[in-house]
Amino acid sequence: MNTHITSDFTPDALIIGGGIAGLQSALDLADQDLQVLLVERQASIGGHMIALSKVYPTLDCASCITTPKMSAAAHHPNITILTNTEVEGIDTRDGVHRVRLLQKPTYVNFDKCIGCRLCEYACDTEYPDPFEEGLGAVRAIAVPFTNAIPQKAVLNAEVCGTCGACARVCPTGAIEYDQQPRHLTIHTDAVIVASGFNLNAITVKPQYNAQHSQNIISPLTLERLLAPHGPYGRVLRPSDGKMPGSIAFVQCAGSRDESIGVSYCSRVCCMYAIKQAMLLSGALPLADITIYYMDIRAFGKGYEQFFQNAKAMGINFVRGKVARIHPVEDGDLSLHVETTEDAGNPMQERRHDLVVLAQGMIPGWQPSDVTPVACASDGFVATPALTAPAATTVPGIFVAGTAAGPKDIVDTIAEAGAAAMQASQYLYQKRSAVLVG
Amino acid sequence: MAMKTLAPEQKQALAKLRASLGGISEQKRQAQKHLVAARKAILKFLEAKPATVPQIAEALQLPSSEALWHVTGMRKYGKVAEAGEEGDYPLYALVVQQEAAEASH
Ligand SMILES: Cc1cc2nc3c(=O)[nH]c(=O)nc-3n(C[C@H](O)[C@H](O)[C@H](O)COP(=O)(O)OP(=O)(O)OC[C@H]3O[C@@H](n4cnc5c(N)ncnc54)[C@H](O)[C@@H]3O)c2cc1C
Ligand code: SF4
Ligand code: SF4
Repeated sequence: MNTHITSDFTPDALIIGGGIAGLQSALDLADQDLQVLLVERQASIGGHMIALSKVYPTLDCASCITTPKMSAAAHHPNITILTNTEVEGIDTRDGVHRVRLLQKPTYVNFDKCIGCRLCEYACDTEYPDPFEEGLGAVRAIAVPFTNAIPQKAVLNAEVCGTCGACARVCPTGAIEYDQQPRHLTIHTDAVIVASGFNLNAITVKPQYNAQHSQNIISPLTLERLLAPHGPYGRVLRPSDGKMPGSIAFVQCAGSRDESIGVSYCSRVCCMYAIKQAMLLSGALPLADITIYYMDIRAFGKGYEQFFQNAKAMGINFVRGKVARIHPVEDGDLSLHVETTEDAGNPMQERRHDLVVLAQGMIPGWQPSDVTPVACASDGFVATPALTAPAATTVPGIFVAGTAAGPKDIVDTIAEAGAAAMQASQYLYQKRSAVLVG
Repeated sequence: MAMKTLAPEQKQALAKLRASLGGISEQKRQAQKHLVAARKAILKFLEAKPATVPQIAEALQLPSSEALWHVTGMRKYGKVAEAGEEGDYPLYALVVQQEAAEASH
């Protein structure tokens, strides 16, 4: 994997974000013989998709689809990848984008590290693993996760106790405790913003009391619980390790609500909740699974059938609004539901021992803070041209995937291909104009 | 794995990192002490027999979510393994016990 560059490297295109959108755009550009620099702020490429369990609508294993793309990008001769690197800003002048990067120290020399994990086994400091949404434990120096790319150890200075054990066992002398941050400025003709999404805070609706119960979880946490190599190796609830017997999904728990600043629909929650419910019924055959929803938005190809299959599997769908959630004894949760399905009894109290809140999708990064790229009123990158869906307000800067708005993997990949095509066309036209001029 | 000693420049680099972190805070020291003590106590408790997370939590006077977190870390790094179920909870055993039980089957 090519990770060496200096400021005199001038790639044809720079891609911000190594999620599935950034990876697809990078591969499509690199296959056209263009030089690509892919910049990812985390320690591994793969974005949110590499942490998912299985994906709707096919129920394919997420890492089985993502890992080959990650690996293809890492081995492509035309792609250079910088991980642990943030984009600090972009200045655009005369059609050239000056991209300022900050490469954070990993305290490990990647040229020497062979990914043997001896350092990780020698370290005795552990902290809640961010890859496992805080449920698992990871050591202060570790290869970020099993199929991370690059397979290199990274030291977390915030938790490191500076005992020196890792450097004592490292067979290649890779550990460099005095590594410093590095600033780089890259000049490029085209940029693709593929900075993805985040979920809004699980506590955004105080009436759901998520801060008062560990058994009110994020859907990303449930993805990890369902993943074959998840933190517990099976589905257990975080408060006490119990196998849950009754699980509730509360839909639109962070979207379609003006009062929390997310008036739009996050588009993927209905479908991933249905998927997760199906996977749960496989993992916990005796569990009772209920989805509380306002309306099910199953708009994609084959999605309605997916919804009907879930109903046929015995998943309970209750149309209504969950007004409040309260923690009760034994770590359980009491849900106050206003349902439209039972006219005689519209206000109901239901008990569950695990609750998943469908948080809203929000932008993963705000480029308008540090670049000339404008964002729309929903906070995602604005795409003003109806006929050029990947174009932003700045010529030569394009957008792909959830950086432009909530969408699922199928739409993200299609858009990433479109962004790569628009970027290569732009480069071709720009360079032909220079030749003609 | 034999531990080498650090070369003088590695020692210097480590001191530099420690200084850049403003030294090791008392809070960090205490957290590490607690982690090591809790892990030791769990291993000792499991020497008698496999146990569930609530049983570990009760015996060691730990919040059950914390006991689960320790067990999760110990499972990941090969110290404990699942060993059946009791009621709604998985049982956890020391890896040596678990290996012996599997060998006798
Ligand atoms: C719980 C859940 C389950 C889902 N399940 C499914 C499913 O089953 N099927 C399906 O089709 N879709 C599913 N989705 C949607 C799917 O996750 C997204 O469509 C997809 O991951 C979006 O990819 P992306 O590349 O746009 O964004 P991301 O995966 O968010 O990638 C963006 C990357 O950019 C990096 N980045 C951000 N800012 C910067 C910066 N300034 N500098 C450098 N790097 C930066 C981030 O670290 C990240 O790696 C699910 C979503 C959720 C929340
Ligand atoms: S830093 Fe050293 S010990 Fe750690 S994974 Fe790399 S080569 Fe192995
Ligand atoms: S120096 Fe830090 S990372 Fe290395 S073994 Fe010690 S605590 Fe762990």
